[in-house]
Amino acid sequence: MTLGHYALRRLLLGVVQVAAVATLVYLLVAALPGDAAVALAGDNPDPERIEQIRVAMGLDRPVWERFAEWLWGLTHGDFGVSIVSGRPVADFLADGLEPTLLLAGLTMLMLVPVSVLLGVASARREGGWLDRVVTTTAVGLHAIPEFTLAIVLIALFGVQLAWLPPTAVGTDGDLLAEPAVLVLPLIVLLARPICSISRLVRAAMIDAAASDYARHARRLGLSARRVRYAHALPNAVAPAVQQMARTTDWLLGGVVVVEAVFVIPGLGTILVDAVAGRDLPVIQGLAVLFAVTTVLVNLVADVVAFRLAPRAVT
Amino acid sequence: MKAVLRYGIGGLLVAVPLLLAVAGPLFVPDALTRGAAFGDTGPLGTDFIGRDVWHQVLLGGRTVVLVAMLATVLSYLVGVPIALLAAMTRRRWVDEVLMRPLDVLLAVPSLLVLILLASIAPRGVLTLVLIVALVNVPDVARIARAAALEIASRPALEAMRLQGETWWRTAVGYVGRSMLRTLVADLGIRLTAALYLVASASFLGVGVPPDASDWAVMVDRNQTGLFLAPEAVMAPALLIIALSVGVNLVFDRALRDRGRAWL
Repeated sequence: MTLGHYALRRLLLGVVQVAAVATLVYLLVAALPGDAAVALAGDNPDPERIEQIRVAMGLDRPVWERFAEWLWGLTHGDFGVSIVSGRPVADFLADGLEPTLLLAGLTMLMLVPVSVLLGVASARREGGWLDRVVTTTAVGLHAIPEFTLAIVLIALFGVQLAWLPPTAVGTDGDLLAEPAVLVLPLIVLLARPICSISRLVRAAMIDAAASDYARHARRLGLSARRVRYAHALPNAVAPAVQQMARTTDWLLGGVVVVEAVFVIPGLGTILVDAVAGRDLPVIQGLAVLFAVTTVLVNLVADVVAFRLAPRAVT
Repeated sequence: MKAVLRYGIGGLLVAVPLLLAVAGPLFVPDALTRGAAFGDTGPLGTDFIGRDVWHQVLLGGRTVVLVAMLATVLSYLVGVPIALLAAMTRRRWVDEVLMRPLDVLLAVPSLLVLILLASIAPRGVLTLVLIVALVNVPDVARIARAAALEIASRPALEAMRLQGETWWRTAVGYVGRSMLRTLVADLGIRLTAALYLVASASFLGVGVPPDASDWAVMVDRNQTGLFLAPEAVMAPALLIIALSVGVNLVFDRALRDRGRAWL
């Protein structure tokens, strides 16, 4: 199978996935008890008033009709309007996108070199002190939920030692203006993915170094360094690339939690607020955005992995 | 003795929070004292509404541990039969119908699924168990299916089929039993994942009342008093960390020992 064929097949699968997720999310959210009309009518709802709001918002029409309209809007980049504040959902997404993308992007940017480096370094001397330290730390750190790690770091570096700002309050969403704010969130976000990916790279490097092609290359007289970095490394990185894509799932979950702890006004905070306020269009928009991101990242990762080690992917 | 040493750190890390979670509620007096918020009465001070933090620590482990364990068991009870059916069928469409919907679920970030479902369903421990189990089912089913497929292609199975053994005996009696090893090896990862999800969800206030006696909720609610009473946040946070790390270390250790014995 050529790269083009493979990419096309994955792309079609991705489109189906996004459509399925969008449908699922819409149906789920439509099943939420106490629709927005009830929420808007206030503490002491008067049935007539609820009915009025419902008609005004089009909530009295059948579900499939609203669903079709919503889907049609999506294809035009129209996510609908928030029922709590009346702002277009697209505005919400645009507002929250910057801090979240910044956090996720910086994490990915640091994740790749650090974890590949750690994996390669610990694979060079299997069972050596570096390998043992990295492996044990990875097993332990890997399991820690982000919010507990975050709170411990805040208590230590933010409150006790006062080296770093404990939260992002006061930056008004402009995180780059005060880079010190980003240090703790990034450490928290990196902790889990680094563990899983460096372990994966380590195992794959050890496998690759013991493989027939590596042995053959050494027999041909290629330098150990060339065998390791030009032949073993690409094969070892292929599974890691796919695992990195899987970590975008974690990253999104982690970002939601990290934003809550550090009071960063990103997509995660918007999601938590929207769920609390039963702001259905915003929830739906976010879910579609998250699904598209996850599918896209997985797509790119699979294609890259295919390019790196064509036989490994079926 | 050797076993004690081998599981030392991990075992200790698990034992302390587990003991607190299981036996803790027995040591809490019925009449709870109320004092000033973030005061210093009691061994660990008071929390954001003036309850004794030590009592809350004793009470708060139950939900985390219980929900994670029940959810893990449930996800196996649902995921493994699905995987067996999918792997053992001769009709391809059965496999597709069973596994494709799970792939879609995998494409959505798990915390998002959790938040969405928790906002639909009524609040409560049972809801949280069901949702965490549901989020874990696709992973369990995938791993179980891969294991079952590998076993199903063995010559032994071909022989059983030719002998005219019943589906039940081949699928459950042979394939199911041979899968156990892979499933046990995966158990630690699933349990850690469930713990992680339960704690993170409770922290975000999903599926639990805002004043619940729960370690994760304590971390969230007492965060405002981090400057005044750090113990009220640190005690539950460290307990969750100890539990998660401990579970992971113990299972990793057991797996490596077992792996050596099998080789």
